[in-house]
Amino acid sequence: MKDKVKISIFRKDPATGEEGHFVDYEVPVKEGMVVLDAVTYISENVDTTLAVRWNCKAARCGSCAAEINNRPALMCKTRIDLLGDNIKVAPMAAFPLVKDLVTDVSENFEIDRKIPAFAPKEGLESPWIIQQMDVERTKEFRTCIECFLCMDVCHVVREHKKDYVGPRHVIKAASLDMHPMDTLDRSKYLNKEGGLGFCNITKCCQEVCPEHIRITDNAIIQEKERAVDNYYDPIAMLLKKLSKKSE
Amino acid sequence: MGLYKSLRNVLPTEFIEPNWRFYSFLFLIAFTIVMMLEFPVKPYHGLIDPFYSPTILVLPFVGLFRLTCYAYRKDYHRHVFKHPVSCALDLRGDSSTRDYSGETKFFRVENLHRYFMYFGVAILPFFFYDFYISITFGGGLIIRLASLILLANAIMVTIWVFSCHAVRHLTGGRMDCYGCRFAGKQKNSFFNIQSKFNEHHEALAWSSLILFVFVDLYIRALSAGIPLDVTLLHIAHI
Repeated sequence: MKDKVKISIFRKDPATGEEGHFVDYEVPVKEGMVVLDAVTYISENVDTTLAVRWNCKAARCGSCAAEINNRPALMCKTRIDLLGDNIKVAPMAAFPLVKDLVTDVSENFEIDRKIPAFAPKEGLESPWIIQQMDVERTKEFRTCIECFLCMDVCHVVREHKKDYVGPRHVIKAASLDMHPMDTLDRSKYLNKEGGLGFCNITKCCQEVCPEHIRITDNAIIQEKERAVDNYYDPIAMLLKKLSKKSE
Repeated sequence: MGLYKSLRNVLPTEFIEPNWRFYSFLFLIAFTIVMMLEFPVKPYHGLIDPFYSPTILVLPFVGLFRLTCYAYRKDYHRHVFKHPVSCALDLRGDSSTRDYSGETKFFRVENLHRYFMYFGVAILPFFFYDFYISITFGGGLIIRLASLILLANAIMVTIWVFSCHAVRHLTGGRMDCYGCRFAGKQKNSFFNIQSKFNEHHEALAWSSLILFVFVDLYIRALSAGIPLDVTLLHIAHI
């Protein structure tokens, strides 16, 4: 193991109007060191003006999301010894920059508010009894720590700026849709206003998720198939109409 | 996992991110057309080449089933249209400057995947029928290596078709309440087992494709007189 490692960090303060650039630092290496250790070492000992957001250092809060060697990852979960000699750390480019490694992810909370809220069936007796299998089904989606790495890597959100809500929010919609007490079908919202058709199943979101949520397989494709039921499959549409009439 | 991450940092992305499945599919289409038109192969001692089974009648639909499969969609959106060619952010090239419509406009046709899947399911019994013909050829019971290969092909295609995301939707994905439907028996339900296979749908898509070509080549080799077959059991009269 080397004594020191070189790390290049993207520096930019939009308030000054200066162009962003990478600055090289040398950091002493310790056993089991992660990228966040190196970045906090720099902000505490080398350049205290370096802006970095972090909180738990345990991959629970999602605050330290960044682009490490051009791959979205949590700084607290990425080991230095697996990255080689040239380590490059940049902020998530899909979101507006606040300063250095800090981005403004608040637009996600705006999108979140647009997703139709949980709408339970009327007249349910309390307490609600839900089978374990139903709890487990949506539990996967609820492990999301809102790091927004999936949004950062999604080429539709990042590069094409289409009206696609993005993987994180499809997960949110799926977790509500698959709740046994819920009455809404959010695939209609996702297909019409949420731009679900722009997702082309390239699975990058699933690849970068630090919680290993099978975003594409278990949420996006499921919602796409529900949208097919509503808009593209004449037999499914007919069956839905008939079952509604018989109710 | 560590080795994989280390490799990702050293090797070009094209070596790591597999595009071989889509290219092998393109190869199979070209291969099938050339072989079927130029080099037809007749049944050889009860062995029917999978391309000459009744499947041939619905082959275009089966081709569309593969083309609209979620596994292949990923491949061609990445490696043909290059939207994006890689998850790595520095290797996306001109993806952002080119127009992008995803699965809207023309590619809405991909939403018909489940209809092509019905054709895929419909031809599955013929693969097993071909196996039956191969073991009852000549009146008795004959089990040859070739028969087992035909059976392996039939099983692999069946598993791939049933691991499809559209099948998963129909068998359980569309439901909001598993507890109401499966009533405590979900663990061994078809949906649960199917979901396990669905996790490997991409790998199964490619494996079944390769096995299909292998069976075709194997039977062609036998027809050409190359002694590759072995008889394992032969009962002349039952």
